[in-house]
Amino acid sequence: MIEQGMIFLRRILVAGLAVVAVSGATRVVATNCPAADTEALAWLDKMSRGLQHISYHGVVTFQRGDDLQAMQVSHSVAEGVATERLTELTGQGAEVVRVNHPLECLHPGHRLLQVGERLQAGKCGVAANYRFSVANGELVAGRQAVRILIQPRDMYRYGYVMELDRETGLLLKSVIIGRGEKVLEKFQFASLSYSSYTAADGGERLVHQAQHPHPQERELTTGNPGPPWKIGWLPQGFTSTDNPGEAAKRRTFTDGLSVFSVFMEYLSGEIRAGEGVVRNGGTTSYTRGMHLGEHSILVTVIGEVPLNTARMVADSVVGCAGPC
Amino acid sequence: MSESMRESLSALMDDEANELEVERVLAHIASDPDLRQVWVRYNAVHSLAAGQPSVHLEMDISSQVREAIAGDSRASSGFRQRLMRPLASMAVAASVAATVVLGGQQLAQLEADNYDTQAIASSVSPVGMVNSLGASSVQASYGTLGLPELQPATRTAYQKLARQRLHKYMQEHAEHAALNTPNGLVPFARVPRIQE
Repeated sequence: MIEQGMIFLRRILVAGLAVVAVSGATRVVATNCPAADTEALAWLDKMSRGLQHISYHGVVTFQRGDDLQAMQVSHSVAEGVATERLTELTGQGAEVVRVNHPLECLHPGHRLLQVGERLQAGKCGVAANYRFSVANGELVAGRQAVRILIQPRDMYRYGYVMELDRETGLLLKSVIIGRGEKVLEKFQFASLSYSSYTAADGGERLVHQAQHPHPQERELTTGNPGPPWKIGWLPQGFTSTDNPGEAAKRRTFTDGLSVFSVFMEYLSGEIRAGEGVVRNGGTTSYTRGMHLGEHSILVTVIGEVPLNTARMVADSVVGCAGPC
Repeated sequence: MSESMRESLSALMDDEANELEVERVLAHIASDPDLRQVWVRYNAVHSLAAGQPSVHLEMDISSQVREAIAGDSRASSGFRQRLMRPLASMAVAASVAATVVLGGQQLAQLEADNYDTQAIASSVSPVGMVNSLGASSVQASYGTLGLPELQPATRTAYQKLARQRLHKYMQEHAEHAALNTPNGLVPFARVPRIQE
């Protein structure tokens, strides 16, 4: 009787192990990332890898509510570096330029989107925080697109609809979706050409050289930085975009699709506690006056995240007695 | 406090919670000191920003509110319900605020905080505070008005402060967004006025 029982138990054990072995071999994705759409993630991966390497130029529109802006963008690759240019065709007419960006330079946000290797390593990456699916896209700027629907898995981030060029994976259109399926902002190519492009000199323009904050570059803190502080709570999946010191006035975080920054100001006088919010398209700017020990502080969270997220991050700011 | 409870609480404060979330918060708020503390903090900030003296901390927890919700969901339906929902949840949030049970210590703390800010309000006008931070858009005449009028002025001041900070910091934020989202330099289009 006991012997029979033992055999029975062993059978269950063996059967159980077999199930584990099969599922482990066939779908690592399934065990670690339930419902991860591998096709959508492959597109995202392709988009992220192509970002730096494709040469193109075109006209992009950017829409927030009733406001529509147009700008010329170009991205050209030569001898291992990329040069990017954005020229506003409406409003201020300013220009932003990034020259000689090494192709192999990978920033944390893009690393998060290159999910292929992560999934093989048993990590979900961006799939842990968003649900992805693929749909048929329409034409964008004359190019056949594939549509990626991206839904947040929690309430700390927005949803997205992205349309990628079926051939190159280039992001042709991107929409930020807020609560209740509300479109918060939309950018899309109106015209696009895959070739290098030398911008004609637009005459008297303000030209801004884009900066290059990166985790491996320690920033120099200028002026009197104030006491060290830290952020006690971040939504899951957000990671630093650079490497500011613990006394730095700004911290920025990304989950691969969304970015927010936290700015700290130590005030010399007193402040009435309170909060103020400005929302513009997908951007939330939340400013909060409060007390941190004996200091009066003003914390501002700016980013493409819901108000909830900004408030909770600001709420979690703490001072550090010693090093953070 | 669990992550999901934190979400519900936060949604409640933004008047974005559904009935289920409201009920969850109500069910836990009495037994979860962490949740209660976060709620009190959020609420204190809200009240101060809205210019209310502070929450009245009466003791009777949640049963009336729960009845109110039950009544509400039975009474209304369809379009009308959708129309009324934001109002209803706002009312619920307010009544929850008024019925949260607090320990004596928390109450004392909150009143002390409130006393401090009142004292500040009467000695230094919020306008003076804002000007010292470099705001230029607040009208100086606010400073001469009496206290009741000062309260909404604080809210206005914070609103202007938030807008001003958006202008001040948006470009620095865009530098990071441009390198860490798939949109290339497009995030710079969000900057109100690009600086060299």
